[in-house]
Amino acid sequence: MDSSNDEALDIIVTNVVATFRTRCHLNLRTIALEGTNVIYKPEVGKVLMKLRKPMITASIWSSGKIICTGATSEDEAKLGARRLARCLQKLGFKVRFSAFKVVNVLAVCSMPFAVHLIDFTKNNRPIASYEPELHPAATYRIKNLKATIQVFSTGSLTVTGPNVQNVATAVEQVYPLLFECQKPLHK
Amino acid sequence: MSSRVCQTCGGTDIDVDQARGSAVCTGCGSVLEDNIIVSEVQFVEGSGGVSSAVGQFVSADGPVKAPLLGSGFHTSVGKESRAQTLQNGKRQIQQLGSQLQLNQHCLDTAFNFFKMVVNKHLTRGRKTEHVIAACLYLVCRTEGTPHMLLDLSDLLQVNVYILGKTFLLLARELCINAPAIDPCLYIPRFAHMLEFGVKTHEVSMTALRLVQRMKRDWMHTGRRPSGLCGAALLVAARMHKFRRTVKDVISVVKVCQNTLRKRLTEFEDTPTSQLTIDEFMRVDLEQECDPPSFIAAQHKAKMQQLEQELAKKLDEVEGEISCYKDEIENELEKSRPKLRGIYAAYAKQIDPDDVEVLSTATEPEELVVEDAELQAATQHLTQDFLCQVIQEEEGQDKKTDDNEHELVPEKEDTGPQRQVPPLAIILGKLPRSASLDLQQTFQAFNKSGTEWSAILELDLDGIDDQEIDKYILNEKEVQVKTELWMKENAEYLKEQREKEERIRKEKEQGMYKEKKKTKSKKREQIEASTASEAIEKMLEKKRISNKINYDVLRDLNRGGVGSGGGGSPSRASSDPPHPNTSTRKRLSRSRRKDPQRKAHEVNQDLATCSHLAGHCFTPQVENSVTMTTQTTQAAADPPTVPEPETSPAPTRPPPNVEEDEEEDEEMEEECVSALQLVGDYGCEMEEEDIF
Repeated sequence: MDSSNDEALDIIVTNVVATFRTRCHLNLRTIALEGTNVIYKPEVGKVLMKLRKPMITASIWSSGKIICTGATSEDEAKLGARRLARCLQKLGFKVRFSAFKVVNVLAVCSMPFAVHLIDFTKNNRPIASYEPELHPAATYRIKNLKATIQVFSTGSLTVTGPNVQNVATAVEQVYPLLFECQKPLHK
Repeated sequence: MSSRVCQTCGGTDIDVDQARGSAVCTGCGSVLEDNIIVSEVQFVEGSGGVSSAVGQFVSADGPVKAPLLGSGFHTSVGKESRAQTLQNGKRQIQQLGSQLQLNQHCLDTAFNFFKMVVNKHLTRGRKTEHVIAACLYLVCRTEGTPHMLLDLSDLLQVNVYILGKTFLLLARELCINAPAIDPCLYIPRFAHMLEFGVKTHEVSMTALRLVQRMKRDWMHTGRRPSGLCGAALLVAARMHKFRRTVKDVISVVKVCQNTLRKRLTEFEDTPTSQLTIDEFMRVDLEQECDPPSFIAAQHKAKMQQLEQELAKKLDEVEGEISCYKDEIENELEKSRPKLRGIYAAYAKQIDPDDVEVLSTATEPEELVVEDAELQAATQHLTQDFLCQVIQEEEGQDKKTDDNEHELVPEKEDTGPQRQVPPLAIILGKLPRSASLDLQQTFQAFNKSGTEWSAILELDLDGIDDQEIDKYILNEKEVQVKTELWMKENAEYLKEQREKEERIRKEKEQGMYKEKKKTKSKKREQIEASTASEAIEKMLEKKRISNKINYDVLRDLNRGGVGSGGGGSPSRASSDPPHPNTSTRKRLSRSRRKDPQRKAHEVNQDLATCSHLAGHCFTPQVENSVTMTTQTTQAAADPPTVPEPETSPAPTRPPPNVEEDEEEDEEMEEECVSALQLVGDYGCEMEEEDIF
């Protein structure tokens, strides 16, 4: 039932989270004092640095671990991470760029039909769960892909997964299930 | 009983006598076995002729040491950890479950769930409270009782989402499929709390129909069921001529005002709302609506579409104008006099910008505003130009011409310049929102994937050093920032220094310990001799709600009857010191003039009045008949209550009765005054008459 061939579903990647290490100790106070666009949080022990060109926010810890969020594609995440490392290098730290890994990708997608959540949950009992008291969407977790899909009654989905390919596969997997429980729309 | 062969005669017929414990061959009579060990239940006669079975029940959960320790204590000394955990859990389940008024069967099921959870080691790292609450809620869902997660979180004072998280996890791990919540389940409960009297059932039925209609109109997916119930009950109440305000309903249903109003407006938008009451009860419309959020999104999409069309039209008009502009420019070029000095610079700048202006003629709607301005400006200017051109050709003053030129290039300068940055932004946005060609990105990612683990050196291509330099402040800026930062965080730095010194000192003394951060503050026990003191102390500690008239609360046990005037606005949580929350709930919802019931509750709460209850009740029972406001239902209540209460009463010595009665009445008045304060409707007058 590969009905997604007819109309291409727009899967829009809105957020990519990546981590990398600089393999050297970083003095947070130096970064805080000598960098622009930085927020120092001494209670937590990290520095938030925001870049403009790829719109990215990075959390920098003194151990040298850095988490990069806000990128819109995996390439952009990598570029932003490298930029950040270059910036730290210029500040005087012996930075080496290692262990870059994309940890999480968030994408949104919209179905052209509305979905009957209660039927959808009933048909996919253990994998899908719907708790209207807590959250308006039904959650569908695909174990082997490690992806989580949240389905709203209007037919829009948010998908999170470890990389973009998984996210796309997850959407393709869930499409037929949603198609079954769709609600015919009135105009 | 194995069929053995007799060794003497070879016969197989062997009689085994359990009573004597012997096996005898019926053929030759030889005894084959003596003193057979039997495993049967034995009975022992106890005192009074009662016969009981000998033995103990052994629990299947793990090995337990011999329960008779020396003298046979039945305390929990020496039990293993697992047994202790289960026992503790059972106790908490009983406690919490009784507050929710669950029956024993539900509590047993909950305990079974808890046992399963413990076996799967899911209690590790979680508060037992949360786990217990989740087990209880699982039972509520599987049994279909009208309990909400909100109720549990109210009882435990825990964030409902935390409980929800635990609940979802347990449901997933135990593979228990909790059926979806049906709002219809909550209707009878809320209807009862809203107190429609005899008509409760009818109102519930109407509300049920409404909820079913809402379900068919797709208003219920993704929404809290309590919100829908609230809206349905409000409408149903009005239909049956009960004046229940929004405030009443939200205090029962536990949603916020805005939510309720929103549901009502959504219901209003459905075609069912147009029917009259009779029609609604009889007829069921076939048509089903779309979910409200979908309709809102469609509306938005329509608006956007309209805007786009408008922008397109403007673009077309602008296109025409730019054509005219070009023609005019050409004309001007031909007839333009040579510009000298500063104007030469302007002339050079116009041309490349002009080209860009043309290329940006097909822009989307972001530039609608600027286009309009540009339109107006160009229109105005073209007319001027035409005049100028005509004048020029007629051989007018060249200088004025130049001035006009100056004006125009400036405007056109700023105009296209305004357009240039937006263009860059637009081009920047496009790759993000286009449909992803996933193959491409995957390949690109593959390429960069080779760099993953191997390369530690920084790959500098694509990184603009100049831009990065902008991110780093220069010396002077660093100084300024350092000063500012130091000033701002002076306190924090001081604290850190002190802490370090303290640690150093302790280290020298050899007393340094790794101190763990205590995350939870233990609440101190409030010690007070009387109820009033306890209330005061508790009030000092925490301000529970801004709906409570705290002054009145403080006067609760102090004043007499007259001080109870202003208590009516405080209804819901005006009894915070009472640990028994079920009575709190009842108090908050009871709006009837029901001193019997309230006296019953007050007797439960105020321990000092409890023994006086019997005396309190007898005069009240007599007066129940005379009070016209009482319904027959309420009268049925007190006869059941005074029975247990009056039984201790006769055991009291008679001479003290008179004195007690007088005291009773005084205490009774105190009890009554508390009732009045708690939010009454004027029973005080009648009670004063009685006593």
